[in-house]
Amino acid sequence: METSAFIKTLANAAEPVRAIQRPMVRTVYWLLIAGAVLILLLAEHGLRSDIANQLRNPLFLIGTTASFLTSVLAAHSCLVASLPDRSRFWLLLPLAPLAVWMATVGYGCLTNWVSYDAGDLRMGTAVQCFATVLLISLPLSISIFVMLRHAVRLRPTFVTLVAGLAVAGMTSSAMALLYRLDATIMNLIWNLGTAALIVIFKAIFGRRVLKAIAGALKG
Amino acid sequence: MRETDPQKWSALMVLAQDGDMDAYQSLLLGVTPYLRAIASRAHPNGSDVEDTVQDVLLTLHEVRQTYDPSRPFKPWLAGIARYRIADRLRILGRAVAREVPLDAEHESIAASAQSHDALDSRPVNAALRALPEGQRQAIMLLRLEERSLKEAAAESGMSIASLKVSVHRGIKALRRLLGEGGE
Repeated sequence: METSAFIKTLANAAEPVRAIQRPMVRTVYWLLIAGAVLILLLAEHGLRSDIANQLRNPLFLIGTTASFLTSVLAAHSCLVASLPDRSRFWLLLPLAPLAVWMATVGYGCLTNWVSYDAGDLRMGTAVQCFATVLLISLPLSISIFVMLRHAVRLRPTFVTLVAGLAVAGMTSSAMALLYRLDATIMNLIWNLGTAALIVIFKAIFGRRVLKAIAGALKG
Repeated sequence: MRETDPQKWSALMVLAQDGDMDAYQSLLLGVTPYLRAIASRAHPNGSDVEDTVQDVLLTLHEVRQTYDPSRPFKPWLAGIARYRIADRLRILGRAVAREVPLDAEHESIAASAQSHDALDSRPVNAALRALPEGQRQAIMLLRLEERSLKEAAAESGMSIASLKVSVHRGIKALRRLLGEGGE
């Protein structure tokens, strides 16, 4: 088709669209969704039994703050970088808190090695934890993918990867408030394992999910 | 009417977001020469340039809600163009890696080898026999039996890369042997 005829076709299909909100506003929307999910879970499950002690534990405070900051900055950076005129270097924004988060997980593993308790590995707890991970990460994933649906035509791979990091960070922060997971193996599984799984899943399937969401919302 | 003044593109885009078809058409016509200039720096081939321009325009259409009226329009457009040009270069790169280009040498042999009658001629058979085994096998499989590279590789045990090299060298050698000249 000639380019001029192609332009005419596009112009004739120009239905009104609403310009999307700025990334900062959309980040706040996503955090509100995360907050709502967390409040519902807290109402249902309550805080972990040793929360008072944990709030005096610097490692817990630093680790949870770092995972939360990683999540907030990752969400903001992927929403910014999904726009055509913004630099891809925005995607590096969560690296600093991510490094702190990973360092505290590693340090926690070393210091808690001796406190390994087989009781923490009970199947019932593990299944419940897994269900909670799903309950938190699913609405957060869906909401951030809906916000990023236009990115499917721009830079989907890295944007979805960082979106995965945002969901993983928020899920980990919520889990830290809800469950006692201070044995080494559980720490590894729920911090690194969950984060890695969510990020890998999004890296592999993120593009297809974005396409499906973009298609569904169009139709 | 096309709007070629970049200062006015932002205002036209805002109107386009509101559904103003005339403003949108004027904007798209106006940005096309700019896109063509960017695309032609990456693609020497004219049809690739037009394909890229149309791809950029289509993406612009699909993500027009992402334009923030408080920001300049041109970097937003250039960002979209950059992605589409990179995509097309990747696609073209993959296509080139998959294909074996046919040059004049291949054409001349292919034409003479269209039917098996042509092969009956003694000089061609003799020339084929004179080739090293690998080159002869590559020509037999790929050019005369018209197998795919994958099939030929499976049958001959040669890699696809060495099949390509062998057929190329074999055809050159055939031309020399048959007195058709060569490079």
